[in-house]
Amino acid sequence: MVKTEKKCTCGGVAASDAENHARLAQVIQEYQNKPGALIPVLQIAQALFGYLPKDVLRTISEGLNEPYSRVFGVVTFYSFFSQVPRGKYVIRVCMGTACYVRGGQAVLTALEQELKISVGQTTPDRVFSLDVGRCFGACGLAPAVMVNDDVHQFVQPGQIKDILAQYRKPTA
Amino acid sequence: MNITMNGRILEVQTGQTLLQVARQNGIHIPTLCYHAHTGPAGKCRLCLVEVGGMRGLQTSCTVEVKDGLVVTTDSDAIRSARRLVVDLLLASGRHDCLACEKNSDCELQNSAYELGIERPSFTVDSTADTDTSAEFVYRDNAKCIKCGRCIVGCNQVVVNEVLDFGFRGHDTKVICDDDLPMGKSSCVQCGECVQLCPTGALVDKKTVGKGRSWQLDKVNTTCPYCGVGCQITLHVDRTSNRVVRVTGRDIAPSNGMLCVKGRYGYEFHASPNRLTQPLIRKDGKLVPVSWDEALDYTAGRIKAIVDKHGPDVFSALGSGRITNENNYAVAKFTRAVIKTNNVDHCARTCHAPTVAGLAAAFGSGAATNSIADILDADVLFVIGSNMTEAHPVVSYYVKRAAKNGATLIVVDPRKIDLVRWASLYAQQRVGTDVVFLNGIINEIFKNGWQNEEFMRANTENPDDIREWVKPYPVEKASEICGVPVDTMKTIARILGTAKNVNIIYCLGITEHTCGTDNVKTIANLQMVLGHLGKRGGGVNPLRGQNNVQGACDMGALPNVYHTYQPVEDPKVAAKMAQCWGVSGLPLKPGYKIPTMMHKATTGETKILFCVGDNTVQTEPDMNKTIKEIKALEFFVVVDIFPNLTTEMADVVLPDVCFNEDDGCYSNMERRVQRLRKAVNPPGQAKPTWWIMQELGKRLGVDLRFTSAQATWEDMRRTATSMAGITYERIEELGLQWPCPTTDHPGTPILHLHGKFTRGKGLFCRTDNRPPAEVPDADYPFMLSTGRRLWHYHTGTQTRNSVGLETIFPEELLEISPVDAARMGIKTHDVVKATSRRGTITLKAWVTDRSPEGVCWCAFHFHEAHANVLTNSAYDNVTETPEYKACAIKVEKVSDGVPFIQTVQRQARP
Ligand code: SF4
Ligand code: SF4
Ligand code: SF4
Ligand code: FES
Ligand code: FES
Repeated sequence: MVKTEKKCTCGGVAASDAENHARLAQVIQEYQNKPGALIPVLQIAQALFGYLPKDVLRTISEGLNEPYSRVFGVVTFYSFFSQVPRGKYVIRVCMGTACYVRGGQAVLTALEQELKISVGQTTPDRVFSLDVGRCFGACGLAPAVMVNDDVHQFVQPGQIKDILAQYRKPTA
Repeated sequence: MNITMNGRILEVQTGQTLLQVARQNGIHIPTLCYHAHTGPAGKCRLCLVEVGGMRGLQTSCTVEVKDGLVVTTDSDAIRSARRLVVDLLLASGRHDCLACEKNSDCELQNSAYELGIERPSFTVDSTADTDTSAEFVYRDNAKCIKCGRCIVGCNQVVVNEVLDFGFRGHDTKVICDDDLPMGKSSCVQCGECVQLCPTGALVDKKTVGKGRSWQLDKVNTTCPYCGVGCQITLHVDRTSNRVVRVTGRDIAPSNGMLCVKGRYGYEFHASPNRLTQPLIRKDGKLVPVSWDEALDYTAGRIKAIVDKHGPDVFSALGSGRITNENNYAVAKFTRAVIKTNNVDHCARTCHAPTVAGLAAAFGSGAATNSIADILDADVLFVIGSNMTEAHPVVSYYVKRAAKNGATLIVVDPRKIDLVRWASLYAQQRVGTDVVFLNGIINEIFKNGWQNEEFMRANTENPDDIREWVKPYPVEKASEICGVPVDTMKTIARILGTAKNVNIIYCLGITEHTCGTDNVKTIANLQMVLGHLGKRGGGVNPLRGQNNVQGACDMGALPNVYHTYQPVEDPKVAAKMAQCWGVSGLPLKPGYKIPTMMHKATTGETKILFCVGDNTVQTEPDMNKTIKEIKALEFFVVVDIFPNLTTEMADVVLPDVCFNEDDGCYSNMERRVQRLRKAVNPPGQAKPTWWIMQELGKRLGVDLRFTSAQATWEDMRRTATSMAGITYERIEELGLQWPCPTTDHPGTPILHLHGKFTRGKGLFCRTDNRPPAEVPDADYPFMLSTGRRLWHYHTGTQTRNSVGLETIFPEELLEISPVDAARMGIKTHDVVKATSRRGTITLKAWVTDRSPEGVCWCAFHFHEAHANVLTNSAYDNVTETPEYKACAIKVEKVSDGVPFIQTVQRQARP
């Protein structure tokens, strides 16, 4: 459920949330009765809300007349969809075979410790989300970490702080 | 066209798959993900075959035939590929067959056996979990082979839409809603997924450890709950004399599907609470006596009272719960031995207006079409029927039809669960059905959508109806019934321009003071549309109880003998007298239940002989009923459980239940279906036909009831429309009456081609009549009542079975979120509901199923019983009480445990 009661801190968010829901309702209307509507509507909803909270899934399920389990099944099938708010930067640590044998797990652990979140979660300030991936096709550079579209190569646990710092500092 | 399979040349049809052809010709191909009900999935790859000219092996369940194909279904290559499939499946789970409930009944195990796999060549330790949260279904994900049969079953067969695959890759699993434990999900525990699962991943939880499949006897019979009449197999443990499992049979009307009651509400037969010996009231207490003493005493008292006051002081009640044979026995006893027509049964409280209304319009008071016809309609018009709860298996057909493209229109004062599948929903005010329907008919005429040809050719008075609905333009009707004008216009258009409309209704229509008028208006609508006498159309009332159709058919009614032969007709009486070997059969129709009961207080009814009818709890205004029963001189109750009614009896006689004797029931589509003895009755319980025979003997008449079948045969001798139905003929599949001769095939559709039973159809005039009691300042809420999915009637069966009460442990008063917010009521708070007749205290369920100003509760729990509140005002034609409308007030008593709703569940908070 979306919190709207704390007017002072998230009033702005609440207002835009209501707008988002209104927009979602329109989208559902447009797509209703069209076959194959579910995935595009989910994509639009994710773009609107940044992620797909359960109440949005419910609205979509009811609006498109799709079983709730089907909507949830689709959301959990595609890694593109997220049920938790995504950070500004999505960090993906490769756990493919090459990266794994060359220390991917240690890198992941270091990231988890540094960010104080585990895989699938987002930092409370919504700057970073942490995920794992399966082979980025950069096995020669293993272990590899992607931050949004940037690939970081030969990453050692000790470098984590520096890498994060690059994204933490305000962009010029 | 032809194909060659294993060297045989086989004739095939376009669209057939290779697997279908093989099955049809007795060629075995192992399968796992394919099931006849869920279709080909192409997932497991066990059904591999070689097809000439195609590279590699093909999945026979998905490949369609083409002329000249050459197919091989068995070869070394095929076997080794199949072996690999099964090997991998076994390896990627935890298939501990020895401990598995499915042992010997498992399709995976059978395939392994067939392919000679002793143990898997690989092992991957499965980390999959089990889910024991649901009451009846046990899930062991480590045995799931991800065939998807349960998912297709849940979504496309029963359309409860709970299951799907979630997550991806190695983590893929079957999920309920958003991966909730099944017990917390929207699952209604119908068990379809269990019946379809090829492995031990889904099993009946209560059956675990109760016996291997080969140790259990299988007895085919009919579900003892509602009027759908689902066909079931009882799995019986002979040593403990118990049913331990129920499965659906793959024949009409249910095709394997069941609901939670039919599949899991089976232990009541073995309940220690059963009545096991005759009881007589001595010094104010019911004490056990022998059958001889009980029968001598009963016959003696009846004789003494009837001799003194005449036969009409005797009244009897048959029941929609007992077999055809037993209803016939009660009716014959009343007429042939006592010589009165004072016999009635609980159809009085439900579908008597259907019998009267449809008989007036069409000449026959039964459903016109078969249940399966639902799939052939292009528009389904459902009014006053909460079918997902009261007739679940019918709702599966309706939901499936809607999913397949039929337009489903739901009209109901409550936003019932079925609305989720509706294309259009109209929320009429309680008790305004005539106005709503007349408005629709008016609009149909206004636009010329009526079927003029049908009306002219097949009805007596086509011009009258046009006049009669004139005062109901939609604008005016809308003001009264509350359905927006636009919605009414749309509904009229959809109905008026459809190819085939099936009208389905239930007690929301009949249980009103204008019940018969409501039914007649529905008949009017369908005669204007003209979708009668053909497949897929018709007027189809959903009969409530397992055998309420049969109780009517058997003449447990004050005005007709069995098969609706009027008691007033001297020719009929003479025929009965001759066949039964008695004289002086009464020509005067008897009393209907409310009259019988009322006359107790005036001394005109002195004896009530009541079989399988918990009168105290089922009649409206319980306090009034109790007063009437107290005024009786002699009150006999035949039943299977003690209840509020047996407590008041002078004599209580223990009856057998549905699986302790042979017999038959008639379901809502007029299909007569067999019941079979599967277990021994408890103690000294005896069938009703035996009791009537013994009493008859003591009163000087041999009723010739020597067995259930002999009773049926006795009925058949003087039956008209059922004379052709014998036990032998319905051994496998039930027959639908009319079936007058033993070579008649039965009648799936009444009034074929508009040729009505009464000749021409008759339009009847109906006008607006509000309920007898409407809300006012003192009692501001409208209370409506009905049935819940999890329970049945006064709860004697469902509350004496294991698990249903855990799911739904107590009655709840449904109240709208608007009213609840205004009164500070939350779900599970304790509230008091009071009508002019009584008060009950129960918990609240705040739900948008209830519109503002309307409350709802059921009559399953004597602790908080709707009939303490209901009004005994009744329909002027049939005396059916107005259970669907009375005025109450609601007060909050105390706060309940805070309740958090995780997902919108079906049929419960
Ligand atoms: S029990 Fe019925 S409703 Fe529940 S998951 Fe299985 S098929 Fe669906
Ligand atoms: S639970 Fe049973 S039916 Fe469902 S996917 Fe698994 S094995 Fe198949
Ligand atoms: S739908 Fe009715 S007849 Fe069928 S299983 Fe359920 S209660 Fe029994
Ligand atoms: S294994 Fe990590 S990039 Fe290929
Ligand atoms: S039965 Fe054909 S692929 Fe499973």
